[in-house]
Amino acid sequence: MTPPRGEVLQGTLDLIVLKTLDAMGPLHGYGIAMRIQQVSEDLMKLNQGTLYPALLRLEQRGWISSKWGVSENNRKAKYYTLTKSGRKQLVAETESWERMASVIGRLIAGAEGN
Amino acid sequence: MSSLRETFARVAGFFWRRRMLEENLEAELRAHLALAAEEKVRAGMSPEEARLAARRDFGGLEQAKERYREQRGLPFADTLVNDLRYGFRMLRKARGFTFVAILTLAIGIGANTAIFSVVHAVLLAPFPYPNAERLAIVWSVYGLEGRAPAAGPELAYLQERSKLFEEFGGIWAQSGALTGEREPEQVKVGQVTWNFLSMLSAKPQLGRFFRAEEQGFSAARSMILSDALWRRRFGGDTQVIGKPVRMNGNSFTVVGVMPADFRIIFPEGSSVPPEMDVYIPFPADLAKQPADQGYIRVVGRLKRGVTPQQAQSEADEMASHMRKQFPAFAEQELKLQVVPLHGDVVRNLRPALLALFSGVGFVLVIACANVANLLLSRASQRQREVTLRIAMGATRGRVIRQLLTESVLLSCIGGAAAVLMGSWALKLLLALRPQEVERLGTIELDFTAFGFTLALSVIAGILCGIAPALRATRVNLVESLKEGGRNVAGARRDSRSVLIVCEVALGFVLLIGAGLMMQTFAGLLRVNPGFTADGLLTFHVSAASRKYETPEAATDFFRKLQKNVAAVPEVESVGVVSHLPFDESLPNWYSYYWAEGAPKQEQNTVMADHRSVFPGYFKSIGASFVAGRDFDDYDIKEGREVVIVDEVVAERAWSNGLAVGRKLNIEHKVSTFESGRGGVEVIGVVKHVQSHSLTDRVRGQVYLPYPQAVRPHMSLTVRSKAAPETLVPLLQAEVAKLDKDLPIYNVQPMSAYVEKARREARFTTTLSGALALIALLLACTGIYGVTSYSVQRRTNELGTRIALGAQRSDIFAMVLREGMWPVAAGLTVGLALSFALTPLIAGLLFGVRASDPLTLAGSGIFLGTVGLLACYLPARRAVRVDPLVALRYE
Repeated sequence: MTPPRGEVLQGTLDLIVLKTLDAMGPLHGYGIAMRIQQVSEDLMKLNQGTLYPALLRLEQRGWISSKWGVSENNRKAKYYTLTKSGRKQLVAETESWERMASVIGRLIAGAEGN
Repeated sequence: MSSLRETFARVAGFFWRRRMLEENLEAELRAHLALAAEEKVRAGMSPEEARLAARRDFGGLEQAKERYREQRGLPFADTLVNDLRYGFRMLRKARGFTFVAILTLAIGIGANTAIFSVVHAVLLAPFPYPNAERLAIVWSVYGLEGRAPAAGPELAYLQERSKLFEEFGGIWAQSGALTGEREPEQVKVGQVTWNFLSMLSAKPQLGRFFRAEEQGFSAARSMILSDALWRRRFGGDTQVIGKPVRMNGNSFTVVGVMPADFRIIFPEGSSVPPEMDVYIPFPADLAKQPADQGYIRVVGRLKRGVTPQQAQSEADEMASHMRKQFPAFAEQELKLQVVPLHGDVVRNLRPALLALFSGVGFVLVIACANVANLLLSRASQRQREVTLRIAMGATRGRVIRQLLTESVLLSCIGGAAAVLMGSWALKLLLALRPQEVERLGTIELDFTAFGFTLALSVIAGILCGIAPALRATRVNLVESLKEGGRNVAGARRDSRSVLIVCEVALGFVLLIGAGLMMQTFAGLLRVNPGFTADGLLTFHVSAASRKYETPEAATDFFRKLQKNVAAVPEVESVGVVSHLPFDESLPNWYSYYWAEGAPKQEQNTVMADHRSVFPGYFKSIGASFVAGRDFDDYDIKEGREVVIVDEVVAERAWSNGLAVGRKLNIEHKVSTFESGRGGVEVIGVVKHVQSHSLTDRVRGQVYLPYPQAVRPHMSLTVRSKAAPETLVPLLQAEVAKLDKDLPIYNVQPMSAYVEKARREARFTTTLSGALALIALLLACTGIYGVTSYSVQRRTNELGTRIALGAQRSDIFAMVLREGMWPVAAGLTVGLALSFALTPLIAGLLFGVRASDPLTLAGSGIFLGTVGLLACYLPARRAVRVDPLVALRYE
């Protein structure tokens, strides 16, 4: 049996998607899903269906934009690109994530130290 | 910022290109699955395996789509649209129910729309003047006599000294005759301070307002025309500015034309009619006029941030200074009263309108109760549907929401119908409107009224839907499904009974209110005004031109006119008087009187209306003498200093009322700007003639023979059995024989004046009667509906009872009893409610007390009888139940 995989937290999905698009450039939904699974080495369980509402939300907020394009194997697919304000958002969210992570890290370390 | 963007995007997603967006989603997801499958095929899976694996990896496809749709649009609105669609279907299916419910709500809401339009226009909307909220009327108070006009020096003093007012303006309504190329025309002339019009209007339609230097004695004579006169007499000529106009023998230059919608909204009793024909600046130096001649109505505009209280205390101070400075003001004990213009104009209307507004609110509550009743009956028919929904997993909140959507939909359709009904009702209402409402100009259904109707519809929908929705969703799944839709009647009947109690209580209060108003109106019809209006025709004649400048010429003219008119066949008698009873078109003339020789402190305390008359006036109007005699030709010819008083003056001046032969100190020898004062012999006492109100004796009356009080404008009273149409040309001919340049105007039967005085009472009576009638009908259908519904539901039980031997008379009594107890309870609650509420309308009543036991008992018996009738039919049906049929029922 595979070890239990972590559920993607609502909210962190936004950050992950933005980061993925930042790193990879324009990508379609399937590509984003694949990339996330690769990077997390299948440790993170992504319900692919939840990706699309998230993409729509990011687009509605103006952080990413979408355009119909053609995939490497000649399939019509919708490609997502990070926008300028999306890049700003990414910086902001990364910072707040790091702050949060370090706080939690310290809390856990402190608890273990006792 | 980004969440705002999201909202826009969602709204856009809700309204636009739904199909395209849906196809896009479909394509995107298809692409996803295809890409995934292709990759898996490349990794060695069979195409079929790959397709399934891709679907598995993706997770729930439909859930993903649904979540995507929720993100794309407005889930709340989507549900609403669905509920509305469903609601429409349900309403279409039950046409009878829908029709009755919508009609009921349309009546309830429409009545509110109509009355609200009036309340809004009269009580809420500001007057169409710049900074209208800062305008205030400044009344003079002389001793006990309030709400009086100001004298010239008084206005001049205010203008000069006040620090809290921006400015004061004044107007004196007069009349004049326009002559010149066209036929002569009698017009209403507003003599105004130069700033008066600019205080009440933003700018003239043509030309300009008056300038300061145009007011006063030697100034050039300028004139501003009303829109109506400009169109009527000058054909709307835009070149009219600078043209000369002849009025009363003088030449004026037109400097402006007022806007079409301009009207002067002054309080009733201020003798300032809303529509003047022309305006001219005061042709005199106000400061130099006599201080004891009050004639100007004063309006002031407060400085920004000044409260009426502050203005009042400043006015008190100024009045006290004036009393020191002018002996005349000290003698008359001058005080000033500052009241906001709007409040002062509507002060008499407010109680009636608020009473009607509450009444119409009651009607709506009754209508809602009826619809709630209908919905309750329907809810039990739909019990299965609701139960099923809940069993299938719908939350109670969700079902309540859906049911409420339905009832709000119902009431909004009712509201739309109400707008039609309201506009129709408003027309009816305006036909009845009292004069004071008329002053305010046009009243229409405007956007505020639409908004009000919409809000009311939604509230009404929730109000009548909430109880049925709560009731319908409080289900015990197992029991309800088992019973298969058959219901326990008991509990549900209770909430219906409460509705009936409420309907009857409110209906009772309305009925009592209407009963009181009807008695008031009947009382007004019974009032003897001191004259006989029937068969009395009146008209005005104005001898204002130079020809009649001397008192002799004017006297001569009116005497001849009276004699000539009296000679017309079919004319029984003719009177000439300076001011007809209830005539609001002329300024009222009144001043102090006292018994000659009365102690100083009794002088200058009470005022009487002054009327200038020719002999024969009292006979023609049907006034009767208490003592003494009428004036005669000798009094006129010789200019004898004599006077006739009414009983009020006689009793006030001499405690025993024996006035004939005594001397009364009054203002006499009066012309426009001069007057004398002295003791004049009383030769007759007449009964009081109601002149301002049918119900109150506002002031006593003093009648002077015309040469003692020469007035340019006089009214003739002609008693004749002939119809006015045949009489009027004859009268016109008689006037033209004497002076072809003199128009006769305001031709009206005396009964029209009396009718006008009754109009406010007629308005409130008709309206409260209509409201009570609607309430009665609604309550009646409500009682009938509930009782017959309960009989229908209990057919089974009743049949069983009869089968088991119950007497039919017992069944009959039982149904009646159960139907009538909420009616009885409602009557009790209504009675208590009316004790609390009717004192509030006491001010509207005349000749009947607010707690009139006869009205209370009568209304109660009437409503009880109606309730009994409404229960009677179902009860009779209950008795006729055939046990065999009944037991098979259901």
